[in-house]
Amino acid sequence: MKLGLACDDGFPPAPVLDLLEQAGLPVGALRSVAGPALVDSGGATWLLAPGADVLEACVRGALDAGVVGKDLLLELAPQVHELLDLGVCRDVLVYATPEPGAAAVQRGRPRVATRYPLVTRRHFAATGRQVELVAFDAAPLAPGLGLADGAVELRSRLVLDEGIAGAGAPAGLRVREEIAACSARLVAGRAARALGGERLADLLERLRAAVGES
Amino acid sequence: MIPEGMRDVLPPETGQLRAIEAALCRRFEAYGYGEVRTPWLEYAETLETVEDDTLEGGYRLRDQQGHELMARTDLTVPVARLAAARFRDRPLPLRFFYVASSIRPWAPQRSQDGEFMQAGAELLGVRSAAADAESVIVLCDCLAALGLRDFRVALGTVAFYTALVDSLGLDDDREKFLEALADRDYPLLESIAGNAGVDQDALKVLWRTLELSGTRDALSQVRKMASSDAMDAAIRHLVSVRDLVEDAGFEDAVTLDFGLYQDLTYDSGVIFEAYAPGVGLPIASGGRYDGLVERFEWDISGVGFAIAVNRLHEALEEAGAVPSGSPACIAFAGGLDEPARAMELRRAGWAVAALPDDAPAPPLPRLHRSGGSYVFEPADGEPVSGSWRDVLRARGIM
Repeated sequence: MKLGLACDDGFPPAPVLDLLEQAGLPVGALRSVAGPALVDSGGATWLLAPGADVLEACVRGALDAGVVGKDLLLELAPQVHELLDLGVCRDVLVYATPEPGAAAVQRGRPRVATRYPLVTRRHFAATGRQVELVAFDAAPLAPGLGLADGAVELRSRLVLDEGIAGAGAPAGLRVREEIAACSARLVAGRAARALGGERLADLLERLRAAVGES
Repeated sequence: MIPEGMRDVLPPETGQLRAIEAALCRRFEAYGYGEVRTPWLEYAETLETVEDDTLEGGYRLRDQQGHELMARTDLTVPVARLAAARFRDRPLPLRFFYVASSIRPWAPQRSQDGEFMQAGAELLGVRSAAADAESVIVLCDCLAALGLRDFRVALGTVAFYTALVDSLGLDDDREKFLEALADRDYPLLESIAGNAGVDQDALKVLWRTLELSGTRDALSQVRKMASSDAMDAAIRHLVSVRDLVEDAGFEDAVTLDFGLYQDLTYDSGVIFEAYAPGVGLPIASGGRYDGLVERFEWDISGVGFAIAVNRLHEALEEAGAVPSGSPACIAFAGGLDEPARAMELRRAGWAVAALPDDAPAPPLPRLHRSGGSYVFEPADGEPVSGSWRDVLRARGIM
């Protein structure tokens, strides 16, 4: 089987690996591998790559299935089937702005920095507000820079990893709105779903059991 | 330069595509389908009879009288238009096939060319599981005839979904919900369901059903979930279609897929998609579209499918089963000056490209004069030289 694991932070996320092991998939060898990489482990080939790559490979039929974050599924709306919520790597996409008191410019059309332009546009449009989007990967830093009035980002990323030298919490952002709950999802491309039959069903069954246990 | 999303097709691919298309035509004809060719420009009004998203970005232009015209975005609607306009007094059923290209605005993520060739068959005027089955059988026959072995046809039904969605009690949001279902837009589904106060358990049943495909127990699970007569009827219909396809000899080709849902607004009953290893998107898709011809004021039912010829070609490449389109062509240096000899070869069934005597060495296989004799260099094996007769005999040409 060819399987994909999104590892946007370099290494595949440990909670997902734990779950895969509980489901009887030998993935120990993947723990120390930084993506992007192709690794053969326990009878399967694993693509460790950014989530967008995992999705592209699923859509084009190069992978039987993949694990990616819900945030990416919302943003890219790829032609894949979402088969299972793995229930790990839980997070929330939020809209956050600087603490009150910080000199805030009152703009008729606020600027929002994000790496989720589609989700952001949709969220504000659905609530009848107009915003100016600023495509910015390090969105939580944008308000501090004076680049934007707020940021749409996963809650866990509002505070940068303090273990990274020189990195601290960015300009005290406060969550204003929750946009969508996210977690790791098992997905499969349309062809893999039609052709994968028993093998994919077996993987799904084992993962579902593992999710139930954990 | 050519417009984005468009492409030129070159040999040998052109020959292979033509061989594929010819093989498909022969299969369609074997079931009594007759070929139709419709213009690639239609009145925009005609195509807009169907409210389909793909039309929004369609290419439009105006004729000299100011009528709005549109490049066709598929063939099903033109065929329905043609049937209603020209075949009203004919006995039913009607069977049409086409091999033709459609044009849609190109988008990088759609992995489909802006202009794409489709080979399709439409069966009009019979509303039954047997008619649905015939359509699936023709599709399976087409794919098998080309030597594609590991293809699968996923078979689902719109009727099951509409019944399932009806059981949710959505009222005003029903259409929006079905649309989101077609787009597999789960968050939108959740929010619509949330706003309408849909029972969480009912929603769980829907999610579970979407996952059911091709597994041993998918059918029994779906049967358990069915909570209305409409759902039971939809499942029974699907099973009888599958049984008929299996009777026709395609036992392993069909899998029931309750997650299958397409976005064409004229689908009304069974839907099916064909997949092959190595190609991520369906190589063919089809379904029942009762109500489409009715929009052209003739109330007859229809079922049909279209094969995406380029994706089929891709699948055949993956399977190592691409038909060789064009015969190997002998490059005959000096052949331009010896038309009679070139003709002799052609009459014996060879393709010959005649070149001037002094042409730079062409690719193998090639034939040229050397002094008073001829030299033939095959693509594989040793060169042969001697008199014209000797060379021809040695190569088994004559």
